[in-house]
Amino acid sequence: MGWKLRTRLAAACAAFGLAASAQAAFTADQVKSFTLPNGMKFIVLESSAIPNANMYTFWKVGSRNEAPGTTGLSHFFEHMMFNGSKNYGPKMFDRTMEANGGSNNAYTSSDVTVYQDWFPASSLETIFKLESDRIAHLTIDPKMVESERGVVLSERSTGLENSNIRMLMEDLNSVAFSAHPYSWPVIGFESDIKAWTQQDLVNYFRTYYAPNNAVSVIVGDVKAEQVRTLATRYFGAIPKRPLPPAVKTVEPEQKGERRLFVAKPSATSANLMVAYKAPAADSADHYALDVLQSLLTEGKTSRLYKALVEKQLATSVGADATDGFDPGLFYVFAVAANGVDAAKVEKALLAELDNVVKNGVTPEELAKVRNIKLVNLYRLQETINGKAQQLGNYEVFYGGYAKLFDAPAAYQKLTPADIQAVAAKYLKKAQRTIGVLAAKEE
Amino acid sequence: MMKYMMTGGAMLCALATAHGAQFKLPQFETTKLPNGLTVMLMERHEVPLISVRAVVRAGAVNDGPQAGLANLTGDAILLGSTKHDKKAIDEAFDFRGATLAGGGATEQTTVQANFARADAPALLPLFAEIVQQPGFDNAELDKLRARKVSGLKQAKESPRQVAGIYYRSMLFGDAPYANPPGGTVASLQALKQADVKSFHGRYFRPDNAAIVVVGDFQPAEMKRQIEALFGQWRAEGPAPQRVDYGKPVTGKPRVWLVDKPDAIETTFLIGGAGIARNDPDYVPLQVLNTVLGGRFTSWLNDELRVNSGLTYGANSAFAPNAQAGVFSISSFTALPKTEAALDLALKTYNRLWDKGIDKATLDSAKAYVKGQFPPRFETGDQLASLLGDMFALNVERAQIDNFMRDVDGLTPEKAKALVDRHFPRKNLQMVLVGKAAEIRKIAAKYGDVTELDISADGFKPGAK
Repeated sequence: MGWKLRTRLAAACAAFGLAASAQAAFTADQVKSFTLPNGMKFIVLESSAIPNANMYTFWKVGSRNEAPGTTGLSHFFEHMMFNGSKNYGPKMFDRTMEANGGSNNAYTSSDVTVYQDWFPASSLETIFKLESDRIAHLTIDPKMVESERGVVLSERSTGLENSNIRMLMEDLNSVAFSAHPYSWPVIGFESDIKAWTQQDLVNYFRTYYAPNNAVSVIVGDVKAEQVRTLATRYFGAIPKRPLPPAVKTVEPEQKGERRLFVAKPSATSANLMVAYKAPAADSADHYALDVLQSLLTEGKTSRLYKALVEKQLATSVGADATDGFDPGLFYVFAVAANGVDAAKVEKALLAELDNVVKNGVTPEELAKVRNIKLVNLYRLQETINGKAQQLGNYEVFYGGYAKLFDAPAAYQKLTPADIQAVAAKYLKKAQRTIGVLAAKEE
Repeated sequence: MMKYMMTGGAMLCALATAHGAQFKLPQFETTKLPNGLTVMLMERHEVPLISVRAVVRAGAVNDGPQAGLANLTGDAILLGSTKHDKKAIDEAFDFRGATLAGGGATEQTTVQANFARADAPALLPLFAEIVQQPGFDNAELDKLRARKVSGLKQAKESPRQVAGIYYRSMLFGDAPYANPPGGTVASLQALKQADVKSFHGRYFRPDNAAIVVVGDFQPAEMKRQIEALFGQWRAEGPAPQRVDYGKPVTGKPRVWLVDKPDAIETTFLIGGAGIARNDPDYVPLQVLNTVLGGRFTSWLNDELRVNSGLTYGANSAFAPNAQAGVFSISSFTALPKTEAALDLALKTYNRLWDKGIDKATLDSAKAYVKGQFPPRFETGDQLASLLGDMFALNVERAQIDNFMRDVDGLTPEKAKALVDRHFPRKNLQMVLVGKAAEIRKIAAKYGDVTELDISADGFKPGAK
């Protein structure tokens, strides 16, 4: 789930950096935004360092909108969006884009589906034609559905084959959530992947791919007025539809620690994952939790790196958090060093978390994290992709892209006591799920 | 959960005018200090960041029997200098949000940092210290080596991480290019502090190195700083010379079957000899490879993924070194579909000769490589990496300056000639990582089979 981490960093860096610097690559007044009468919103940032541009379209649909029997449908649908529309038959989306110098990809999370196009700025109109045609007139060819099932089954199995952390996280989510759809993997269960019907796909498209359920971000060597003209021309006539039904399920409170074990015979060392229940992305605690995450795992002087990697208990440590509309998880993970058992890594890891809860953090650590965020902001704003991802994440998850420019104050006012307070609030034994993946159960 | 996972694939490493727009490699200056040190400076002011990179012309090809030595040395550089211990270095960089990394590849060992412009006065001297006077503290070195040993074992849990290392080992045989850059468990465990010091002494010398700086600085001032920090560095004795690092061995069709008994899919590479990084045909070959396996609508991805649903992704790439390189098609598929996927990959590959590349396809690929070019060199780190490769792998600036001309000049006729000259057609070499009990017979269809056990140390047959 590499993209999740990237997403998280993007959002956090934006906020922090602007606090400390007048040299950020862009300011609030450079961002233009407009909404078409059908409710589709566009955010544009002119940026001319390279003669290219991108278009990131965020749809507010992900695996949280699914149900048992249709798990993985959002992601599968993401694939089907490349398989033909009225004016661009099967394969023609990619062929047309590539012949015009563009490329694309897309990702699905528990909460959103995002389509990314990268192209020479001179091909902007072609991109609008392609993107609008599949929104207005997608054809879902049953033959394409069948072949795409194989692709997604391969994607699922190659992820499990090559990533222990992914395998562990998938099973851990199903233990941490008993009711909420965050319980199942974004890619879905194998049996569900094999079972979707044509009608499932058609319904999905009608329900979720309404222009008023999307935000498109365009960054690059373009003019905002040109984007507005093209957006109106190509997306303007697509009718607005009722917004999708709300997700009603609220995860019941967790009453005690949960544990799981995953056997993988070829694992040479144990993988450990500890996940705590955490708030939705737009929580007031977001910034303090983000600082806590960095302080625990970012860099060689971070708490967990020093306690686990420097002490030869683990070869790597990491942390991640879901960007979600609903309360999700704050993950901490480690890969044990050769010959070190999982229990020993777990004990040391939990001791460090407890240490933050009990003794708090130092002003120096907070200052360090502030510097890290600042420099990461520059790194992110070095590219048009970083800028687009950042604007889109703020728009979708943090209450609007403009919040990006309010966030600095929220970060600046954080004190060591605030960090300790969120640690105490969320890093609770009763609220955690601990997963271990190893060759065999101890 | 992406539409398409980019699995490896050679990056285009040249710059030029983009698709219908102005795009040029930013100006940079190359100078040589009196002590022989090459200094490359590229000024950029989009963001207040500086990327600095020390590039040493030595890597796994110089390991000899001590596989992993260059790589270990590159990482051990970060363990502190004779004046500042590891803790001081880590804190200095971490506190400022800077990154500091080392590494050893096949032909270059690098130390690289990225930091805010304002932090250059504090961090550049530390960077210069660790490059020239590393401490190689023994206790820290022991820890680093142990972590690397664990990492080597863990890598074998993921076929994708190791398939390419077996492939190079198979193709280059006993030649230096076959050396696994990360070493093996046994070779790493045998490396001592004295070995690392000796490697550093032999290769980390000004006449064998370059300092590359890209970012937000004033060139005259940066040049003075680099001179002050690296001007006293002295080389002793004759400079290391490059020898012949080997050519791919492809006398007959061979299959290395790497057994991973719990594999649920088969990961494969197919191919043979490729080209050197400075081959005059490097740029046009990238365009041709785009058609075969370098983009989403490539023949391989179209056949193996889109038309048949056999895999999530299939691609092909030239992986060049300074003197020689390899070419490979790569993909993976569910265990029961192994034979179907291999046959389809081979059949698709043969289209290069059976049908050739028509003009429309070629035009599309030309537009694609030009259009996707500028974002590859958007950041200071990307540009520093390019300049470092130019130094370490003998890439002439002409290759970069002629990128557009070489792409635009391709015709179907030239393409055909290039296909015949450079894509290996006969005696294909194959690495399969998967469940041998079920694919052993299939493997035998494609050549002489050598079976390896993935859990055995190293990347050669017969390893224990």
